[in-house]
Amino acid sequence: MADMIITRRWRYRFLFAALAFLLIFWKLLPSDQIAGRWPGPDLILLLAYVWVLRRPDYAPVLLVAGVVLLTDVIFMRPLGLWTACVVLGLEFLRAREAIWRDMPYLFEWMMVSATIISASLGYMVVLALFSVDQPPLGLSLVQIFATIATYPLVELFSSRILGLRRMAPGAVDQLGRKI
Amino acid sequence: MARDRGSGDEYTGPLRRLLVGALLVFLIALFLLWRIDSPRAERFRAMLIDRFVPSMSWALVPVNKIGDLIEGFESYARIHDQNDELRRELRQMRAWREAALQLEQENAKLLDLNRVRLDPALTYVTGVVLADSGSPFRQSVLLNVGGRDGIRDGWATTDGLGLVGRISGVGQSTARVILLTDPGSRIPVTIQPSGQRGILAGDNSALPPVDFVEDRDRVRPGDRVVSSGDGGVFPAGLLVGQLVAGPDQRMRVRLSADYERLEFLRVLRSVPTEEIQAPGGLIGPPAPEQSAEAGDG
Repeated sequence: MADMIITRRWRYRFLFAALAFLLIFWKLLPSDQIAGRWPGPDLILLLAYVWVLRRPDYAPVLLVAGVVLLTDVIFMRPLGLWTACVVLGLEFLRAREAIWRDMPYLFEWMMVSATIISASLGYMVVLALFSVDQPPLGLSLVQIFATIATYPLVELFSSRILGLRRMAPGAVDQLGRKI
Repeated sequence: MARDRGSGDEYTGPLRRLLVGALLVFLIALFLLWRIDSPRAERFRAMLIDRFVPSMSWALVPVNKIGDLIEGFESYARIHDQNDELRRELRQMRAWREAALQLEQENAKLLDLNRVRLDPALTYVTGVVLADSGSPFRQSVLLNVGGRDGIRDGWATTDGLGLVGRISGVGQSTARVILLTDPGSRIPVTIQPSGQRGILAGDNSALPPVDFVEDRDRVRPGDRVVSSGDGGVFPAGLLVGQLVAGPDQRMRVRLSADYERLEFLRVLRSVPTEEIQAPGGLIGPPAPEQSAEAGDG
């Protein structure tokens, strides 16, 4: 029983990493270089936040931090700062996951939106404080909005296709503790 | 409902919090390091990308090819119209070719008469585009040539017709090209035929604006924009594009390079010209020998 839970957990963690790599790969494809497109949602961030609110043990902090740090390096962002913002948001959500389990879905969506907005704002403010060149504010806002709007889709994808369910009441981990 | 709100891990909790705290400190330290010692951090980044992205090229190449194939099929639909259009263009081109050949011969003759020494011919290295920047806020591509091919930071890159960008960040087997549309790109340009100088500044839009033009009245939409070679950044005379008037009354440049399909890029080897250091000595009759006269008195 315990072995099964552990293999399941590692399978989902591997799945998370694989999905993230797929997203990075897809973004790196040099299809065309027309500048000024509208930015799409930040899917890796969404994936991490959806998973941590469904099954906190499937989105461990080191894995998420590693993946986001990799995107920091590859997508030419300032190293480490965006990862720190994402990790802060992730831990904020993880600490409240148990409390929010019974809340309606709309509430969850609003709280995740607030988390995403605070993480992005924090990122922008720190960049401004250190006087780093920033993308135009409008584009960043479009990206935040797109990310929030895509949250239900990622949630549906995770629950319907990947079979990520909330934990049943009284579920225990391999040491018999409640999770 | 009786539920353990703290999720019941009073043993692992503090340890975990310590781990997360350490992780955050590490990330912030990494950011500070990046901010303080940017060149070293960027070298580290280039090294990592050098390691990571080429290992994906086995998958990147077929996916790109499939994308091209689909585009090719789409273009079958309008192949007839295209054919007619191409035939018309070809006729025009023949006329231009004739004119160009005549001009070339004339030019060669005049140069020979004047004994003008132009720049040594630029040689180039051609690379294949591996990946793009992946971020909507950054405009750059990654080439599969790098330090081992002798690529250096700052060299110009063209797609054969127009200027594409500048090398910035060289790994062992990859090099990053900052495109002219990137917000960090600044290129000195000359606007022909008036000869006005300006700076082409990327702003993340498809038509980058030209700033610092001295006399706005002497430039018109349709003028050719070429690199000026000011500051020794670039070789002079590389075609950049054509001026257009933007909706906000700024002069913008429609780039000649085909940014929709950047596949093969040429990196131009630019050899820095010799600098003149001293003002040059006096030219005159050789000075009389001082030491002999001093010994005589």
